Amino acid sequence: MSGLWRILAREAGLAWAGGGGAAGPTAFFLACITLGPLAIGAESETLVTVGPGIMGISALLAVLQFGERSFADDFFDGTLELYALSTVSLPVLAFAKVMGQAIATLWALPLIGALGSMMYGLGGSEILVVFCGLLSAIPALALVAGFASALSAGVRRGGLLISLIAIPMMIPVLVFAAGAGRAALDGDFDRAWATVLLTLAVSLGTSALMPFGIAAAMRSRLG
Amino acid sequence: MTDCALFSRTSPLLQCTVFALTSAWKLGDMPSMTNETASIPDLSDLEAQSLSVSGLALKRGDFILREDISFALNPGDALFLTGRNGSGKTTLLRTLAGFLPPAEGHIQLGKSSDPAELIAWLGHTDGLKPNETLRKSLRFWSGMAGQPGKVIMPVLKALDIGHLIDRPPARMSRGQQRRGAMARLAVMNRPFWLMDEPAGPLDRAGRDRLGKLVAWHRSRGGIVIAATHQDLDWAGAQRLELGGGL
Repeated sequence: MSGLWRILAREAGLAWAGGGGAAGPTAFFLACITLGPLAIGAESETLVTVGPGIMGISALLAVLQFGERSFADDFFDGTLELYALSTVSLPVLAFAKVMGQAIATLWALPLIGALGSMMYGLGGSEILVVFCGLLSAIPALALVAGFASALSAGVRRGGLLISLIAIPMMIPVLVFAAGAGRAALDGDFDRAWATVLLTLAVSLGTSALMPFGIAAAMRSRLG
Repeated sequence: MTDCALFSRTSPLLQCTVFALTSAWKLGDMPSMTNETASIPDLSDLEAQSLSVSGLALKRGDFILREDISFALNPGDALFLTGRNGSGKTTLLRTLAGFLPPAEGHIQLGKSSDPAELIAWLGHTDGLKPNETLRKSLRFWSGMAGQPGKVIMPVLKALDIGHLIDRPPARMSRGQQRRGAMARLAVMNRPFWLMDEPAGPLDRAGRDRLGKLVAWHRSRGGIVIAATHQDLDWAGAQRLELGGGL
């Protein structure tokens, strides 16, 4: 087993067992989409229109929650130093760590997104687009949240900093992920699937570049 | 015993010179091996490595903490970093580990260009996850260092915490957690052990176990550097006095 897989498996296990697993972000997501109709009103036409957007925003906020403890714990318990001295290079390590945590804590978000779309009255193929849009958005969202988390590790009230750093960087992902659902609502499925692919492209680009940012942030926290 | 023969090869000559700093040497008996620590099996031999530091200056933020630190260590050597609070012991350790860039001077740690992979680190925190049992965390770290997992139990037994292997650190005492962190150094099988206050929360028996583990590591040609306030009697350990706090 290579170092990358070891770290991914360890971080997934730690997030699953220690941090309550998927419960936190899932509960947050559910709360957001349940509160939506209460605030907006129950007209089914309005709800269908805002459905994909609400799913996108809720997923984004739920991922921010995930960022809060991602690197802060490593900073305080000394794991950061041990990782820095490991045989795996820091960018690879950062990627494996964030992905491991994301798999353990965020796996339920696309499912809840599909469930929520059903609640908001979207049709079958539209629900599938929302599901795929969220699924392809999550790697990018998690890596951005991880970057903000690494930058703010060891800072008191880091949650505020994480939101301020991560939200602007998450905007493109939100635009694409929610845009796919909106295009599907308009009946333009070519554009919808193209936008899902764009979301996936953003995730892949983020996976290639963001680990270097996270690694630099980790190094700066060691000094 | 082969271990002692190995150790005598690297008799503690005064290879450590410290300019602008006071230095004192403690020469003692050869470390006596016990059956427990001598019998940790299955670890591949350590590659002999040495460390030389010349003209090193330590920086904390904008101001220079210490200047002109020079010393050299050979396989089997141990070095205590002593000095008051704030004298730069931890900063020196972190600089040696590469976490902080040296303000001036040069560190040659081993022959490799990437010294990080030669260092086993025990900071002032233990590096344990509260809900991860010792079995899982030691498996992870020994695997990361490319070492077999079957050495874990003998090492834990040598530290007298074999019975804690399946207990999460959240339900251990501070001293037990410290011993768990020390086990990580041993199973990673790396030549340089950098330790920050290794004996902090340890009781008397724990300090003895630590001493034996360190003697075992040195007998295999390993190098140990420890920042400490406590009187640890490691045979033939050198001492680098960093002086008063700034």
